[in-house]
Amino acid sequence: MAAKKTMTLNLTDAEMHALEGLCDKKDLSKTAVLRQALRLYQLVEARVEKGDKLFFEDEKSKEKAEVMML
Amino acid sequence: MTAVISPIALLNATNGKLEEAELWDAITEKQLGDWEAEWIPELFKAIQKLHRAGVERVHWPQSRHWNWRQKTRALQGMLAHPGFSIVCNGTTQGMMIVDITTHRCRVESQKGKDLVYVEYVENAPWNRPELADPPLYRGIGSILIRAAIALSIEEEFKGRIGLHALPQSNGFYANTCGMTDLGIDASYHGLRYFEMTPEQAESFIAKGN
Repeated sequence: MAAKKTMTLNLTDAEMHALEGLCDKKDLSKTAVLRQALRLYQLVEARVEKGDKLFFEDEKSKEKAEVMML
Repeated sequence: MTAVISPIALLNATNGKLEEAELWDAITEKQLGDWEAEWIPELFKAIQKLHRAGVERVHWPQSRHWNWRQKTRALQGMLAHPGFSIVCNGTTQGMMIVDITTHRCRVESQKGKDLVYVEYVENAPWNRPELADPPLYRGIGSILIRAAIALSIEEEFKGRIGLHALPQSNGFYANTCGMTDLGIDASYHGLRYFEMTPEQAESFIAKGN
């Protein structure tokens, strides 16, 4: 297992509420949720930088909506 | 890039003895060099043998087109895609790349929960029973699946893993690993999708595979 470093994170009430909501939904600790968020953010940034677009597709209608990354 | 290296043991099937080996939590230039210089020539020789023996292409190793250098380069530095490898006797014996971020469980009891998705896993050609008789080292696939489970536990995913299997490996994932077979996935090259629940992961580890 790779060594880990500890940091303090300052969040607003709304942000903390959102984080706790995700923790409950995913059955994960705050650290685990934030590590997942970082991985996803890094992945999306790398793809967008390459010129790829990010879409969400409605499973039933197959309708696609582009997520604008500015 | 620094890799964490853990000691493991591999069974040498030619003499029945355990040999010291290493599980790396990375795929480095060393592994890619071994793939190019050792795996590919061996794989070509094995395919040539199958061809000369009149074996149909459908029975040739289905991972023969995989280019580990390309795959690794595409995912270099991506936290979502860690790689693993096994080294024994100075040579890479197996490699695996997983995705720990973008896949979710499909099994009803775990639906929507995070899991470790095994994107690519491959054994060196001389360890594959369909190509080498006898294979040199046994248990590479099981050790890599155990590594995926351990990562899943470390990430708080409770041992949940998932993968699409090449047809030649369906039996391994269903029987040896005890994963749930969710059938053919038409949206993914018509491959079968398998998933391991926390209970199945626990029982796989307990079996000491």
